Amino acid sequence: MRIAEQVSDDVLLRRAAKGDEEAFTLLYRRHQAAMYRFALRMTGNTWAAEEIVQDVFMTLMRDPKKYDAKLGALGAFLYGVARNRVMKHLERLPREIALEEKNEDGTGSGIVLRDASTPATWAEKRERMQHVRAAVLELPAEFREAVVLCELEEMSYEEAAQMAGCPIGTIRSRLHRGRALLMAKLEMFRDVPRRARAAR
Amino acid sequence: MNCEEFEMIGLDAERDATLSEAARAAAREHSSTCSRCAALQDSWQAAGAELRAFAEDTAMAEAPARVEMRLRQGFRTQHVTLRVRRTAVVVGWALAAAAVLAGAVSWRNWRHSQLEETTNHVNSVPPVNKTQKNNSAAGGNRQIPAVVPNGMPRPVSAGAGSSETLVADNELSGFTFLPGAFFVDTEEAAILRVRMQRGALGALGLPVNEERASEWIQVDLLVGGDGLPEAVRLAQ
Repeated sequence: MRIAEQVSDDVLLRRAAKGDEEAFTLLYRRHQAAMYRFALRMTGNTWAAEEIVQDVFMTLMRDPKKYDAKLGALGAFLYGVARNRVMKHLERLPREIALEEKNEDGTGSGIVLRDASTPATWAEKRERMQHVRAAVLELPAEFREAVVLCELEEMSYEEAAQMAGCPIGTIRSRLHRGRALLMAKLEMFRDVPRRARAAR
Repeated sequence: MNCEEFEMIGLDAERDATLSEAARAAAREHSSTCSRCAALQDSWQAAGAELRAFAEDTAMAEAPARVEMRLRQGFRTQHVTLRVRRTAVVVGWALAAAAVLAGAVSWRNWRHSQLEETTNHVNSVPPVNKTQKNNSAAGGNRQIPAVVPNGMPRPVSAGAGSSETLVADNELSGFTFLPGAFFVDTEEAAILRVRMQRGALGALGLPVNEERASEWIQVDLLVGGDGLPEAVRLAQ
C-alpha cells in the first residue's frame, strides 16, 4: 500500500508504531536531511553525524510515545533528540575535532564542497570553507549551537530558542558571544595569509 | 542606542523579528554615527557571507543510504520480534485457559457421575422399618428367623447383572448387630448384599431354624473398615 506524500507526521508516526515500515521510511526521508546537516555542522564529523541521525530515529522507532504532538511538531522533537545526542558526543570528544577530515576512501574533507569552477577557485573556496568550518567547530558548544541554528539553519530566534530549550534572550546572548568569537577567528584566518605576504 | 546595545542587538537588527521598528531605526542611526560599530557591522557582514557560503555548501548534505538500510532492518527486527512475542503470549494464555476449562468440565462430569452412582445405590437399598432398627440397636438378634447350614456367604447380584454390590450408605436402619460387634464406624462401613443359605447365618453367631437351613436368602451385611461383618439385615 502506497502512502500519500502529504500525510501528516502524526499519522505516519501512528502507523509506524503499529509496524508500518513504509510509514517509518517516509518519516525518515522527510526529516533525515535536516537532522544530518545539524549534526554535521555541530560535530564537523560525518561519522558522528551519521551515528546521531541513526540514534535519533532509533529512539523514535523504539519509543514513539515519547513524542507528544501537543507539545510541538515532530521536527522540533527530533531536533531536541538530535541536540541531546550532539551534546553528549561533544562532551565525550571535546578535543577530537579534526580540521582535515578524511572520507571513507581517505580522500578530501568530510563535508563535500560543491561548485568547483576552476581548480584555483575551487582550492581557494575550499580553504575558506575549511576556515569557516574550523572557526565554527572551535566555538564552545552552546555558542556553536546558536550560530548553527540561527546562521546556518537560518531559524528565527524564537525557533532557535525553542530548539535549544531556552529563552530568546539566552539565544541572543549566546549568538552575540558566538559571533564575537567567530569574527575574531575568521579575522585571524584572513590575517594569516596577509601577514605571510607582508613578511615576504 | 549605545555601542554595547548595538553589539548585542544591533548587529542583526534587520533579521531579528522580536525587535521593534524603533529599535531597528536606532541601530541604523548608531551604525551611521559610530565608526567602530560600523566597522564591526562590516566585519560581521563579511563573516555572515562566509557562513552563508558554508551553509550553502552543506545545504544538500544528507545521511548516507546505509543509515536508512540499517534503520529499516532494525524496524523489521523490532516489529517481527514484537509480533512473535505477542503471538506467543496470546497462544500461551489460550492454552492455559483451554486446559483450565477442560479440567473444570472433566471434574464436573466426574462429580456428576459420582453423585448419580451414589443416588442409584441409595435408591436400590430397601426401606427398613423403625421397629427393626430399634431392635437391632438394642442388640437383639432374634429377629432373623432363618437358620442355614454352615457355609460362607455367596455374593449375589443386587440388580440385573452385577454379582456384588459394595455401597457406602448412611441408611443403617434395620440392621442387627452380630454378637461381639458394638460399634460401626459409618464413614468406613459399607453395605454388602449377598445371597446365602439361611444356615450360614449360624456361622455369624445368629440362631438358625434347622428346618429352613437350606433356604436361600438375600441379606445385607454391614461390613466395617477392617473388612469384617458387623451387622446383618434381611433384604426385602
